[in-house]
Amino acid sequence: MSMSERKLTPDLFRPANLGTGKGEEITKPSLSFWQDAFRRLKKNRAAMLGLFAIVFIIVFSLIAPSLSKYGMDDQELMRANLPPKIPGLEKIGFLGVDGVDIRGVDQYEMKNVPTEDKFWFGTDPLGRDQWVRVWKGTQISLYIAFLAATIDLIVGVAYGGVSAFYGGRVDDAMQRVVEILVGIPNLVVIILFIIILDPGILSITLALVITGWIGMSRIVRAQILSLKNREFVLASKTLGSTNGRLITKHLLPNTLGAIIVTSTFTIPGAIFFEAFLSFIGLGIQPPTASLGALIADGFRSLRIYPHLAIYPASIMCILMISFNLLGDGLRDALDPKMRK
Amino acid sequence: MLRYITKRVFAMFLTLLIIATITFFLMKLLPGSPFNNQEKLTESQRYALNEKYGLNDPVPVQYINYLGKLAQGDLGYTFQFDGRTVNSMIANGMGPSATVGFEALLFGTLVGLILGIAAALKHNSFIDYGAMVMAVFGIAIPSFVFAGLLQYYVGVKLGWLPVAFWNGPEYHIMPAFSLSVGVIATVARFMRTEMLEILGTDYILMARSKGISKQAVIIKHCVRNSMIPIITILGPMAIGLITGSLVIENIFAIPGIGEQFVKSINLNDYPVIMGTTLFYSFLIIVIILVVDILYGIIDPRIRVAGGKS
Repeated sequence: MSMSERKLTPDLFRPANLGTGKGEEITKPSLSFWQDAFRRLKKNRAAMLGLFAIVFIIVFSLIAPSLSKYGMDDQELMRANLPPKIPGLEKIGFLGVDGVDIRGVDQYEMKNVPTEDKFWFGTDPLGRDQWVRVWKGTQISLYIAFLAATIDLIVGVAYGGVSAFYGGRVDDAMQRVVEILVGIPNLVVIILFIIILDPGILSITLALVITGWIGMSRIVRAQILSLKNREFVLASKTLGSTNGRLITKHLLPNTLGAIIVTSTFTIPGAIFFEAFLSFIGLGIQPPTASLGALIADGFRSLRIYPHLAIYPASIMCILMISFNLLGDGLRDALDPKMRK
Repeated sequence: MLRYITKRVFAMFLTLLIIATITFFLMKLLPGSPFNNQEKLTESQRYALNEKYGLNDPVPVQYINYLGKLAQGDLGYTFQFDGRTVNSMIANGMGPSATVGFEALLFGTLVGLILGIAAALKHNSFIDYGAMVMAVFGIAIPSFVFAGLLQYYVGVKLGWLPVAFWNGPEYHIMPAFSLSVGVIATVARFMRTEMLEILGTDYILMARSKGISKQAVIIKHCVRNSMIPIITILGPMAIGLITGSLVIENIFAIPGIGEQFVKSINLNDYPVIMGTTLFYSFLIIVIILVVDILYGIIDPRIRVAGGKS
């Protein structure tokens, strides 16, 4: 209101000094492609929410296990199958974190657990702290996913890049190989691989990578094929750039958007397949556990001890949704043309 | 077109041959022998058993024999039960698996189409956002997590539907629904994008300006044209359904191929693993082939574009 009441007097104004060329001056700093993309991403609330959730879960999975005094495989049968109990929140009944199981028995009292012992996510049938296991499992799931995505990225970019850049007979030969590999269902390859190699973090990652890089290589190839005949590449070539310089300075940076988006979608895919393998008994072997293995174990006693499955399942759902939201947001921000 | 189909069919058989070869040699690489308690067998018994299953032949001969049998559609014997063939196990599991898969596909596509069309027609409204949030959830949440939670809340806590097994129509609802979630989400998202694109085209404006009612334009022009590209996602969707069925059948104890497959993985029943793997590969490859050919027939624009590249 005060704005409209203020008197406007002529002495408040001063003529602008219009020198030569002043009108041509660009006042706003020009944004680079990445600044612009980041600005667009920041506007997308869903994607930012996903990004925060991912960062939060990653940070938490790293620090959370040290908040408990128990390790990943500290067994104690005396305190098996305890329901969750969180100090502070235990008074609020409907949250279900008061140490009372579904039959209404306070398991902590019944099993004579020392009062200072409170298991935030409860304990599993061997008396291991579920809190530690869930966050360690998150770590392992994320580790497998990021490792698989990184290897996919390196192999895919190299293969697709070489295939497109050298073209001709090289491209033909390399694409024939891809055509055959694409025809083989990855479900089949992954299962066969795990049966041959013993299930472990590395073999699961390998199995995921063995077919996973193809998608990346196809996208990179398509991008580089369309880029390499553009004028700016030709100009650089005429100025005497080496192939290495062309690739690292011109072709790859322009493909980076598509690469990032594809990688963001590779990660939830890898998390899903790892969990899927755990579910059919080919995943990480005990005592280590991934999110998928924990969920699979938890489902076995879902009726009596729902807390064993609910927490890892929720974290997994949040992770998957967040990566999908972030991926969608990145795609919109980096490549408006790819919008779907 | 005929040349294209011949080429594709030929490539399909080549891929199958490669898969069969890989499976065969990978299985040969595995340590141990298929027989239980083999320490207790005498030399001659072991010899007789090996002779019976053709394991005394050199590996290349075994490979040729294996391919020969495969060409006749014979997948060998299972180790779990005496004298039962893998073929009969797959045939037994086929019924329930195909039923659940088909129900999920049908239900998922229908609901997905409706959601996608509604979202596109009410663009940027509450319905649109609601449908898209549901779609993100449906794509992101693994079907087995969803199935487990559904089983717990609807089956155990509320007791509305049977928790597991396969004894009648009411047993189909939960498994088919859990499988269809991914399909609903994919179809809804796809349909929305396609519809929005087509709603903005000139020929829709043209049809409207000629005085055709809104409903008629939407049904006859928009929906029909938007549905063509849906065929392209049928392939990936079928793969998703097969992957999902492996775990869904286990969660709901449905006596299908997926359940059998997982059981034989845990029992190291190699002939069944090999046979089912080949069966799945065959299924997926044929589906993708059929989808590609169908697409070429339905939409001539694709054929022209595809011919060049």
